[in-house]
Amino acid sequence: MMPIWTKSGEKHAVTLLKVQDCHVLRYVSKEESGGKTAKLLVGGKNVSPFSKPESAHEIFKEAGVPRKQKVTTFNVTDDAIIKPGTPLYAAHFRPGQFVDVTAKTIGKGFQGVMKRWGFEGQPASHGQTKTHRRPGAISTNKASKVYRGKKMPGKMGNIYRTSFGLKVWRINTKHDIIYVNGSVPGHTNCLVKVRDSKLPTYKDCNKNPPFPTFFADGDEELPEDLFDEEIFQFTDPSVTFA
Amino acid sequence: RVSSDGKPPKFQPPPKPVIIDRKTQTEDKRFLSPEFIPPRGRTNPLKYYIERKDMIQRRKAFNIPEFYVGSVLAVTTAEPCASDKSQRFVGICIQRGGKGLGATFVLRNVIEEQGVEICYDLYSPRIQAIEVLKLEKRLDENLTYLRDALPEYSTFDVNMKPVPRMAQEEIPVNKLQVRMKPKPWSKRWERPKYNIKGIKFELPEHKMKAAQKWSQPWLEFDMLREYDTSKIEEKIRKELSEELEK
Repeated sequence: MMPIWTKSGEKHAVTLLKVQDCHVLRYVSKEESGGKTAKLLVGGKNVSPFSKPESAHEIFKEAGVPRKQKVTTFNVTDDAIIKPGTPLYAAHFRPGQFVDVTAKTIGKGFQGVMKRWGFEGQPASHGQTKTHRRPGAISTNKASKVYRGKKMPGKMGNIYRTSFGLKVWRINTKHDIIYVNGSVPGHTNCLVKVRDSKLPTYKDCNKNPPFPTFFADGDEELPEDLFDEEIFQFTDPSVTFA
Repeated sequence: RVSSDGKPPKFQPPPKPVIIDRKTQTEDKRFLSPEFIPPRGRTNPLKYYIERKDMIQRRKAFNIPEFYVGSVLAVTTAEPCASDKSQRFVGICIQRGGKGLGATFVLRNVIEEQGVEICYDLYSPRIQAIEVLKLEKRLDENLTYLRDALPEYSTFDVNMKPVPRMAQEEIPVNKLQVRMKPKPWSKRWERPKYNIKGIKFELPEHKMKAAQKWSQPWLEFDMLREYDTSKIEEKIRKELSEELEK
């Protein structure tokens, strides 16, 4: 995570996400998947092919791509279908877009009720016998049962969670890095799924994104760094208020 | 020596004096700002490389002078609520924290009998000028104990003139031992974990001995805590000198 300053001098924290060897693996049509839209299977980071059996390599062999660590699905409209085997780059996103980021949260293991659900616990002194971090009462007398989904101790973390509506501040096309506002679930160097935001406020936000994606062998020559309009460029002189 | 043909031996001139150029030797120990050295961790080094590129860009556009904890600085920042839209603060640098673009430094001064500490971002675009009024080092890396010292040690004249310093001189170390206010202090500075050399402790002997109970003499031999930055520093110095000359 890194700080970023706007032209008015405000500081925002930014997470760096690297797009590492992403390829489209397979196209699944609407009828085949049984959903409302067609799906595209996309694979991330390259990994050694020797730790999995040959049967697991079929998808990758069809696309002509080395074995990937993670495979995710993206729901896609019919005009945005991409041929399996095309690489995907960070330039697929542009600064000023809004993005949802999904990842597995940091696993905390078996945790008690105070850390997992934020319960208050009991006082440290004034006669409390062996009760300082316990849940206390779990149901009422009238219910005479414990409701399903009652918050209790258990395994915390290591589940998929999404941060919605994160602004993209900057894109580095040379190293394929996306600078995304705020924090993102997961530990450092974990695999993350980045998707256009589904929030209703950002429905009409993308003005002319590269559609269906950014093709590296196309005619477009992008500069090494793409910035949002509001970012303070370090080549400019210091900010002054008029 | 055997003389040839009976003549006296040929005159051997004395060996020429070898000039050791001290300047090239001290260039290696040139100042490297502490926020360039990446911390120990599992982050991808690409992140530090990209952050360094941004830091170099900012340094080319705006001069960040060399300073240490204990030097007196004057910082002018852009302030939207001030009448001239800029604010000048003079103070002694107490601590330098953070790595990369988020590096900060805290300046302390006592204004009208009220101690004031301001924490500035080194790479913030709101800073318009950083002036080093007095460049010197102190016996410690962290001068937060000045909060519990007598106010005379933290007062600096707001209209102080910069102290002239000859180039290529060694940075002077101020061996000042500071006198403290009566206890209680914000932290127990006599304890060995803070390892403070710049305080003149006027505590009784038995209290100083009791404080040594919390000493951890095995810490300096702990191999897992070792972080040798010499090679990393060399690489970064080379990178910096190449980029700043462009």
